[in-house]
Amino acid sequence: MTHELVREILRGADVLIFAYFVALNSSYLVLIAMAGLEFGRHLRRAPFAGADDMFRSPLTLPVSVIVPAYNEGPGIVAAVTAMTALRYPRYEVVVVDDGSSDETFALLRAEFDLVEVPRVVPGEVPYHSEVLSVHVARAHPETLTVVRKTNGGKADALNVGINLARHPLICMVDADSVLDPDALLSVAKPFGDDPLRVAACGGVVRIANGCKVIGGRVVDVRMPRQWLLRIQVVEYLRAFLMGRTGWSRLGGLVVISGAFGLFRRDLVVEIGGMATDTIGEDAELVVRLHHHLRRRRQDYRVIFVAEPVSWSEAPSSLAVLGRQRRRWHRGIAEILRKHRGMIGNPRYGRIGLLALPYYVVFELLAPFIELAALVLLPLGLWAGAVDVGFMWRFVLVAYGYGLLVSLVSLFIEEVSFHRYPRWSDLLRGVVAAILENFGYRQILAVWQVRGALGALHGRRAEWGTMHREGFDTVRESAEPVGVGVDP
Amino acid sequence: MLGLFTVVLEILAVVVAATVAAIVVVRVSRRRRQRRRAELAAGPRRALLAFAADNGEHGAQELVAIPEDAWRAAEPGALALLGKLRGEAHLALVSVFLQRGTARTALRDLRSRGRVRRARAAQVLGDLELRQAVPELCRLLTDRHDEVRVVAVRALGRIGDPAAAWRIIASLDRADPVPSLLATHTLVQLGAEAEVTLSAALDHPQARVRAVCLDALGLLGATGSVRRIARVLREDSYLDVRVAAATNLGKLGTRTALEPLTLALHPARPAALRAAAARALGELGAPGAVPVLVELLDDGAFQVAHEAAHALRRLGRPGEQALVAAVEAERGGAHARPSSSASHAQEALALSRVGAERGERVGAGA
Repeated sequence: MTHELVREILRGADVLIFAYFVALNSSYLVLIAMAGLEFGRHLRRAPFAGADDMFRSPLTLPVSVIVPAYNEGPGIVAAVTAMTALRYPRYEVVVVDDGSSDETFALLRAEFDLVEVPRVVPGEVPYHSEVLSVHVARAHPETLTVVRKTNGGKADALNVGINLARHPLICMVDADSVLDPDALLSVAKPFGDDPLRVAACGGVVRIANGCKVIGGRVVDVRMPRQWLLRIQVVEYLRAFLMGRTGWSRLGGLVVISGAFGLFRRDLVVEIGGMATDTIGEDAELVVRLHHHLRRRRQDYRVIFVAEPVSWSEAPSSLAVLGRQRRRWHRGIAEILRKHRGMIGNPRYGRIGLLALPYYVVFELLAPFIELAALVLLPLGLWAGAVDVGFMWRFVLVAYGYGLLVSLVSLFIEEVSFHRYPRWSDLLRGVVAAILENFGYRQILAVWQVRGALGALHGRRAEWGTMHREGFDTVRESAEPVGVGVDP
Repeated sequence: MLGLFTVVLEILAVVVAATVAAIVVVRVSRRRRQRRRAELAAGPRRALLAFAADNGEHGAQELVAIPEDAWRAAEPGALALLGKLRGEAHLALVSVFLQRGTARTALRDLRSRGRVRRARAAQVLGDLELRQAVPELCRLLTDRHDEVRVVAVRALGRIGDPAAAWRIIASLDRADPVPSLLATHTLVQLGAEAEVTLSAALDHPQARVRAVCLDALGLLGATGSVRRIARVLREDSYLDVRVAAATNLGKLGTRTALEPLTLALHPARPAALRAAAARALGELGAPGAVPVLVELLDDGAFQVAHEAAHALRRLGRPGEQALVAAVEAERGGAHARPSSSASHAQEALALSRVGAERGERVGAGA
């Protein structure tokens, strides 16, 4: 009798897990379809979008690009050089050296002939470390500022940068990011088109590994050499490019990458800047912004632009990837816990009723369900709850649907931006979409569960060591610095 | 259940295979289309470059005679070239477009049902700088789709007919107005002839309209409107409008602006207005503003003190002397940490020194 009951429970659990997989992948498909519509809309309007007019207008809102840097010696000069050469009418770059122990500052001082100025740092947003000195480039004091401070973490460094930013828009960029020349124009454009409502705008982040980077510019887009990285390319396409564009179209975007996002400074100051008590400070900022503006009943928009892009290094080793994914999932868990009052709350509109519940069910819980499936399915087989025929069909349908979602992402990328011009890269993308299901997803689920449990138990977040090879090379192994919830 | 799974699996396999095939088909057909377009555009492109190199004196008839499909392939490049040409060459290329019927088609498309088509047509007419399209483009300022209105405003700016000024201003006075920055830029593109209209619109009941007109007047260098702007600074009930008035008085840089800007620094005024007025006094370049700016160095509002220090820096020698005096006064005291005024003064002086060094280097290089 008990045995029969266990079998029934296992059978029921297997069916529920199957239903969950179907719902999860269907939700991805809906988001990807939304993204497809948005890309079509974007591309049809490109001829009259007026990007050049924006570049020429003396009224285009100036931007402060804030670059937190910690031990970025190998790449910092090329990165800052590239950032000071972006195509945008008026902007400044504020590099915040967060107590680097390497030659980050020395290299910047030598390259840009930095001169110290006794800047008064306003305390508009709180920061906890000590600002040691502020420097400007002798030749371009209005364009480049470098701040030295004691180590306090990425969020703290960003807060110092926000305090020193002089312009109404602030763009947060990782020091290892390579921006397309028009990237700033693209993310700033929505602020010019709809200045009263746009509060923040995220830009897409793609993987730079394997690409040819010269002079801080991606000049040749290629698939990386390692399968681990190729799988991440497909994953970025599906989850970040398509997923976020879809959410943007639905009016429910809650994550803007810390590697590339533009915000109205006055609003960021109003909500107190970056939170230093969470590892996913970038996404937390966006959720807090929603929280603030919804409570004020303000008509606002948080949007995502799919092109051009910021290129970032992805981890090429399992150890570094594991740390990154644990961090990201821990970030999700922390944010959802911190803002749990918004979840399911009609006061927060689509964010409270749609986006955050989605993140709970299909982001936070997904790795738990995936691991449960990996345990319960063989258990069901052993207990006789399901037979071999059911099991292999179950696995094939669940993973096959996931494969279809990845392939549809590749299809939409091919129709819209087709950034990978080589046939061999296309083939590798398709194979990576298949290989993702064999081992990668499963080990990812283990890391994600550990990350979420870490947040639950309040364990200290681990950042691990970072390794940089710098720009101007085909970079293959490094961990993005201080990335938040997502890249 | 098993049967259902099998059917789903079979469907899934077919869809997966079809998706892979679709990716391949999309790539093949796109490349074929691009190749075809490149082949078609190659001849017209050469003719266009020769035409531009010849300053538009020869080759117009060859361009007019290009077959329709080849011209369609080359048209985006031709429109881009149009934006880069000036003078006779520009007029000659516009004439080519007119002879090919591009303007006629675009004027017809302005009444198309599709919003993308209407917006594209407005863009083309702006590129052609076609004055006779102004009434139709003005009509588009009330289009129900904002993206069409935005392109129409931009096109009117390119054409630069001051007669459109009132219609552009009116397009700001609606529930979903065109972006203020775009409207300002367009009004500036209409040129000095629009000044009268802009100045009159400073009495418009809508605050957004007044702010846009102030910015446009500032950028146009409309010194004849200083008194009216000063009145807005004194009397307007909206802070943003008064801040815009202060900022643009600074841009206009006339002596008559000194008094209203100084009055705007009164401690009872909001900090944002005082900061804007302090900055404007720096841009005005009037040494008479030094005493009042020195007083602001100690202001409790960071932005006001900061702007006052940098305004003194911009005022040149008298301002710098005042900054040095503020730092020196501090040295005589027994403060463990520099006061607010000394800190702001030190910052401004340091930046001034950097600027001076740069100026010297540039001078030596020349």
